[in-house]
Amino acid sequence: MNLTQILVFAAMVALLYPKGPNGKPSRGLACTWDRIRIRVVQGRGWVILVASTLALYWLQSSSPIRSLDFWLPTASLALTTLVWVVIYTPDRAAWRTAVPTIAVIIGVVALIASTRYFDPLCCITATRPPDIFTVTVGILIVAVISAGAAILFRGRARRLNWIVLGLIVLFVVLKLDIATQAFSAILRGLNGQDTAQAAVSDVRWLGFSYIAFRLIAALRDRVTARPAAPGKPVPTGLSLREFISYVIFFPALTAGPIDRADRWIKDYRNFVQTHQPAPATTPRPFGMDDVVAGAGRILLGVFKKFVIADMLAIIALNSINAAQVTAPGVHGSASFWGLGDGGLNQAIWTWVLVYAYAWRILFDFSGYTDIAIGLGRMFGIKLPENFDRPYFKPNLTLFWNSWHMSLSQWFRAYYFNPITRALRSAKETPFLPEQGFFRQSTFIILFGQVTTMLLIGLWHGITWNFIAWSVWHAVGLFAHNRWTDYQRRRNASDDPESTEQNELPLRRRLATTLSVLATFHFVALGWIWFALPSVSLSIQVFGRLVGIGG
Amino acid sequence: MEPSQLTGMQAATTSARWSMPIRVMLKAFVLFVVFNLIFSVIDPMTVLGRFSAYNILFPGRQRLPYGDHPELAYNVSVLNLDAMLASHELMAAPKSADEFRVLLIGDSSTWGWLLKPTDTLAAQINRAHMKTSDGRTVRAYNLGYPIMSLTKDVLILVRALHADIQPDAILWLVTLESFPTDKQLFHPLLQNNPSPTRDLISRYGLALDPNDPQFITPTLFDRTIVGRRRDLADLVRLQLYGVMWAATGIDQDPSMDYEPAAIDLEPDITFHGIKPPSFGPRDLTFDALTAGKQAAGAIPLLIVNEPILRSNGRNSDIRYNYFYPRWAYDQYRAMMTDMASAQSWRYIDVWDLLPQGEFTNSAVHYTPAGAKLLADRLADSITHLSIPSGQLGKINAP
Amino acid sequence: MTTEIRSALAQYIAKEILQQPKRVIAPTTPLISSGLIDSFHLVDLGLYVEDTFGVHLDDTELNRDTFDTIEQLTALIVERQGG
Repeated sequence: MNLTQILVFAAMVALLYPKGPNGKPSRGLACTWDRIRIRVVQGRGWVILVASTLALYWLQSSSPIRSLDFWLPTASLALTTLVWVVIYTPDRAAWRTAVPTIAVIIGVVALIASTRYFDPLCCITATRPPDIFTVTVGILIVAVISAGAAILFRGRARRLNWIVLGLIVLFVVLKLDIATQAFSAILRGLNGQDTAQAAVSDVRWLGFSYIAFRLIAALRDRVTARPAAPGKPVPTGLSLREFISYVIFFPALTAGPIDRADRWIKDYRNFVQTHQPAPATTPRPFGMDDVVAGAGRILLGVFKKFVIADMLAIIALNSINAAQVTAPGVHGSASFWGLGDGGLNQAIWTWVLVYAYAWRILFDFSGYTDIAIGLGRMFGIKLPENFDRPYFKPNLTLFWNSWHMSLSQWFRAYYFNPITRALRSAKETPFLPEQGFFRQSTFIILFGQVTTMLLIGLWHGITWNFIAWSVWHAVGLFAHNRWTDYQRRRNASDDPESTEQNELPLRRRLATTLSVLATFHFVALGWIWFALPSVSLSIQVFGRLVGIGG
Repeated sequence: MEPSQLTGMQAATTSARWSMPIRVMLKAFVLFVVFNLIFSVIDPMTVLGRFSAYNILFPGRQRLPYGDHPELAYNVSVLNLDAMLASHELMAAPKSADEFRVLLIGDSSTWGWLLKPTDTLAAQINRAHMKTSDGRTVRAYNLGYPIMSLTKDVLILVRALHADIQPDAILWLVTLESFPTDKQLFHPLLQNNPSPTRDLISRYGLALDPNDPQFITPTLFDRTIVGRRRDLADLVRLQLYGVMWAATGIDQDPSMDYEPAAIDLEPDITFHGIKPPSFGPRDLTFDALTAGKQAAGAIPLLIVNEPILRSNGRNSDIRYNYFYPRWAYDQYRAMMTDMASAQSWRYIDVWDLLPQGEFTNSAVHYTPAGAKLLADRLADSITHLSIPSGQLGKINAP
Repeated sequence: MTTEIRSALAQYIAKEILQQPKRVIAPTTPLISSGLIDSFHLVDLGLYVEDTFGVHLDDTELNRDTFDTIEQLTALIVERQGG
């Protein structure tokens, strides 16, 4: 989202908070106006749906592949609809309520496509959309596939895993450069364009990651759903309008946060039905204070992202400047500061670049999240927080509990927890001892942490540098886990309360400060793997930080 | 649902709630306007330009800030003369007793286009460790700027002399392309500094129009924070690029590729629309040279006609290079020589010093080796600058 | 009932997770957000709760939004048992 887009989205809020009638009976024009206003309040759900659909097309960047900036958002909508269809197939009532939603979505897509024919209005998409005949064929194909899927998956929840697998394959196609390039070549071939020109940058599918995360979550929830346990609230099914609005909710479309459907839907229903008496369980209705708070949050985010992060970007480590911080020139700043010259200049400035990168990535991403959360709040949804002062945590485990929280929660819920649960519930392996360092649980912890971190790393891109970053953090997490375990075992006989109280407060504060600094530096150094495309360049940078190498 | 069904309470709260954000926005707006007006009235850009992290947090730049691609050059073009100078090493360099301080002004060849800051003419002069006859070591400072306009050279010189930098001599490298009257104000740097430029026009009687429509006079709105937002952002960026300058010693896009300067030339014999056989009296601004000489005052000034590429390719019988038809350049050289002797200026013409191979992307940009040759050629003239001009005798002969 | 669940949970956490059997954990001590229980032990805690109290906790519920203290976990267990 750029500043213009943010402003447009924020301004749309005026549609949702019309000034209510003053209570007096109004006549004539005023009465008509009041009626319109009330319809608007009632139409909040539609506003969110239409706005999100338009945003899906508007935010998609252009591609050298013809009409791809139209078809990728359309594919996002189609995938979302398909997943809703296969999850809610058995529910006839859900189908009936879906009809107006389908009509509106097709209407909006047709409207976007038809801007092709009205030059002054063209286009909400980055380039001219395809002609209406092609679009009609596309919509028909989606309809046929959805209908087929509805029959194929009826009542067979386990088969939904195949769709999950399909989404994972799509992830690989989009994150692995050679696969993306091949995909681009196929698309170019279909379009009759030169396949030799195929490039990774051709296929930038806006929001795919976050859409896919939400779809996988919905599918997996359906697969693992149990007959409602007593006392556990039965989640009501999402209507198609609700499901699409959740999956492509525009504030969280491009970079999250990844909300959970059951939480999101509570806010949503509360927001779109403000005219009904609120049930006792739902929070107070949304109002102007949410708009003001949301606007404030957006301003904070804009400042963080477009001022602080963009400035830090100037001096943040990247693949070009990493190699440029060379031995001191005649003007070496170490000598400028009276610190002599040689490797010291290189070391000092390499540290500066690394620190700048660490803060830049935090301000950029958390600023973006602030904007998303602020926009969400204006539209009645309290999206989950993604950051909780991550650079001020005394250990790596707590760092990962406070960095991109909605993503790590997602990976915990849909990968780490199930896999660890399965391994823990499995029978003990005979050749591993019950106790000691080599006991089975140690290996389960190592396996769970390494594979989770690898998945998170590979999600950023299937390359060696992200693997290195993953391993860096997995090893760090494992080491912290074992260290904590060792400490706890060693102190098992002591009364922990008394030992903690016996420590001097100053000493404890000092220990915490040192822990925070150590954790921050572990994370900041880890970003070197993340920031630089080649592992060997990263190793070179590590060398320079300690004054080794040229 | 019908309007009447909307409960009175909810309707009332909805309208009441609107007033709160409106009040907040109104207050914010008023404060915003007030701050901008104050900023506009004070117009503190000059003062702000003097605040610089250079020479304090990191070393000053070896040449004035200029960058077409800041993210690669770690350098950014700003229009604030004070900020430009404040980022220069000259502004902080302590002057020792045995330093013979020489300021270099000129165009992009003096600035060192396609050269590292350590390979420019100023750097080559410093590398040569020249000694004046009274035993002082020559220390050159690069105040060149990549614009071909004599008026721009004088503008920078005057601004630099304002500061307490104690120069012992000035080296002014010129070429015909900086002389045409119509080129003097073509660059935004001059257009956006109307008042110092107009000062030059009036103080030295330059044949330029002080009300030239090219001058950009900021309105009240232009001077607000909003109006100045790009200038303010550029000031901050200039400081931040100081980090990269200190870290890498890079101040020009090192990946810059270039086409070698044209050897085969167009069969065009006009120069800036001027046809042979000769220049009109108002075509070239020699008065800018006089202005520079006056601005230098008692400080010795050496004017150098800088080397140009002499092509041997197509149409080289009528042109020297991309810039110059032969007739125009020959005439210019003659006029310079006449003028220098008439005004008894220190002048040296080294137009044919460098062979074709020592030029890079233009007929005036030279290689590091070219810069070295030039420094060597100028060595005697520079060291003689310590001698008062009355005692120069034959030394100054072109 | 609630008290028993609480003390059973507190004992299990102190002995099996923290390895400090003598440690007394208050019902309101933050467990997850404080880092006292990491993600691995959270799964173990979930398995223990399922085995001991016969209620199911989804993988998606093993997070601090669902419960962060013994008090909250106990409430969840009681709610599901009582249903």
